[in-house]
Amino acid sequence: MAVIVIKNLTYTYPTMDHPALREVSLEVEAGEFVAIIGPNGAGKSTLCYTLAGFVPHFFKGELQGDVYVAGQDIRHVRLEDWVLKVGLVFQNPFNQISGAKFTVYEEIAFGLENIGVPREEMKRRVEEVMALTGIADLADRSPYALSGGQQQRVALASILVMQPEVLVLDEPTSQLDPIGSREVFQVIRQLAHQGVTIVMAEHKVEWIAQYADRVIALAEGEIIASGQPAEVLTDPRLPEYGIGISRYTAVARQAAEEGLWPPHQRLPVTLEEAAAGFRAIEETDYARLR
Amino acid sequence: MKLVDSIKKDFNTMTLVLIPVAIAINVVIGQIVVLLRLPVYLDSIGTVLVGAICGPWAGALTGTLSNIIWGLLIDPNAFPWFPVALFIGFVSGWCAHFGLFRTWWGVVITGFLVAITAALVSTPIAVYLYGGITASGSSFITAFLLQTGRDLVSAVLSTNFLVEPVDKIATALLAYAIIRGLSRRYLMRFPRAENVTPKKA
Amino acid sequence: MVERLSFYLERNSPLHRLNPTTKLVVAFTLILVAFLGRGLFLPSLIFLLILAPLSFLGQVGREFLRTTLNLLLPLFAFLFVMQSLFYPGGKTVLFGFWIFAVKLEGVRFAFLTATRVLVMVSSFLLLLLTTHPGVLLLDLTQRGLPASVAYILASTLQIIPQMQAKAATILDAQRSRGLDTSGSLGRRIRALLPLVGPLVFGSLVDVEERAIAIEARGFRSSRPKTSLVEIEDRPLERALRWLCLLAFILALGSHLWP
Repeated sequence: MAVIVIKNLTYTYPTMDHPALREVSLEVEAGEFVAIIGPNGAGKSTLCYTLAGFVPHFFKGELQGDVYVAGQDIRHVRLEDWVLKVGLVFQNPFNQISGAKFTVYEEIAFGLENIGVPREEMKRRVEEVMALTGIADLADRSPYALSGGQQQRVALASILVMQPEVLVLDEPTSQLDPIGSREVFQVIRQLAHQGVTIVMAEHKVEWIAQYADRVIALAEGEIIASGQPAEVLTDPRLPEYGIGISRYTAVARQAAEEGLWPPHQRLPVTLEEAAAGFRAIEETDYARLR
Repeated sequence: MKLVDSIKKDFNTMTLVLIPVAIAINVVIGQIVVLLRLPVYLDSIGTVLVGAICGPWAGALTGTLSNIIWGLLIDPNAFPWFPVALFIGFVSGWCAHFGLFRTWWGVVITGFLVAITAALVSTPIAVYLYGGITASGSSFITAFLLQTGRDLVSAVLSTNFLVEPVDKIATALLAYAIIRGLSRRYLMRFPRAENVTPKKA
Repeated sequence: MVERLSFYLERNSPLHRLNPTTKLVVAFTLILVAFLGRGLFLPSLIFLLILAPLSFLGQVGREFLRTTLNLLLPLFAFLFVMQSLFYPGGKTVLFGFWIFAVKLEGVRFAFLTATRVLVMVSSFLLLLLTTHPGVLLLDLTQRGLPASVAYILASTLQIIPQMQAKAATILDAQRSRGLDTSGSLGRRIRALLPLVGPLVFGSLVDVEERAIAIEARGFRSSRPKTSLVEIEDRPLERALRWLCLLAFILALGSHLWP
């Protein structure tokens, strides 16, 4: 069943002349992990804000078309209740620290206090989510005295603890090192298996290729490609739109031009795929030489 | 507009998040001014800013909490002066409401009105709590006026009338400069943006 | 510039364990009694017999005395000089020099004012030294302080050190580029703007994202809020607070008594 249904969405921020999103149509199934790629200014963040209800309820502006999440028309929900259904994690970790609390443990519990979760349940959920995101050892630290990566994980935990049906993440790994990024992707993959629907704007295509179910490429507010990660991430048009591709794709494309990539085989996104392709071509080369 | 609605209007989430930043601006600029040994306080720029773009009630709350923070963090002597800060925010909010934040000369008038209010409100506090003499340099003027035979209240009041306008006009102008430096798109998120943006035709 | 959250010092003392509201009520009562009560020596006795011993009970005695003196010594010096010389209605001349005359009434008035201010500042200081601001806010929220006010105070306390650090960085950078922060008055005024501009606009830009962040955490939710921590409040402390009310009424009575 489609949890997110977007039809012909066009949205313009107030005081802006040009729409940030144009004629966007999209469906996402429950438990699906969809990644959104695109250059800066393509509308990734706007799409995230729309699903989370901040467009139009916080930003105002003009919204045309239909956006249904969990069967509800986004235009008619109340933002203060909607945040329970759709969780939003965004890029800048520092700005996601509420400031209301003095320790990490309290910071994560802040959302649960606001929605009136009883104390015992609150503690159980906070501890669970701290274990899941690997920050149990930070419990008594000040959220402001953490590294960017640690703060980003606190921000993620603070939203996960509210158990949203749909989780929207706007470049959540920008402050993380490769190990931290992998941990975040693994946590999110696991949530998708548990039935949480994930929409994630992200630049790190190699991780997307490994973990996402589907990729959508945005440019200038329009969807330019949508489909399996291996398909979309190797789309030859991506660089034209200013969308970064995996270094393995780039290398293999160069190799293909020189006839060093197996013909009819899709270009790789990850190291494993690249290795497999080069191994295959090597074998045929050897075969030819003999 | 009913009172409760008027108060509620000031406080959207943007206001609640702006107020801490505004108080921090008050405190940090206040400290920089001390560091630079300038003959003014400039410790309510944030309060005037909130008053102008979020409204008088938000301005009043910012002023009040600003003094509480100053007391918590730097000097508990600040606590009893909170009514002065409250009225600085409140009066600048109403001045902006009546369109005085659209032009620089309107802002000068705002600064002057804020100064008069601050002088009136701080006088009883200075007189009853400190006997008219506080640690600031302006107390020399008070002492001089006392020597010329004035009574305590009028000596303190005259001192305040002399000292306040320069500081408050500078404060209001700096708050105005900040507002002019912010984009329309940004200002629109605040509840009383119409106070500082051109009127719709 | 000091970069810290508040005056709070972590100790394990009976004073630290008291309910924050109890400490707040006691502080207010002592201040009101000092200002309303009669007797030239009442405020000084409150300081010497109640506040100073309590500060040692709270294991913050040295910091308490040092900070109080730091905050008040300049004011007191100023107060005594000015009031003893210029107190209106002073008649009894203690001694005179050049064109000045030190009058008894002025000295008495300065002493009373100074000790009252001493009680005011040191009562608050003792509360702040022994109470974590977060715990105080939590307790007050549970007693009806609006969550938005508690949010504003807590986040201000955490933003200020960040902004002070940023100010120090900008100040250093500007100085190394030849910005003059000593020099004449005109120069110092011109030094202010390049310092303050980046600081102010930098912090204002963040407001929008921070607003989204707290909305995303259900801050505006219409449901009744709950609290992670419960602050202890003992019957004995409740009794103490009623006692404070009684003390206040007595002081008020003596103040109004003809």
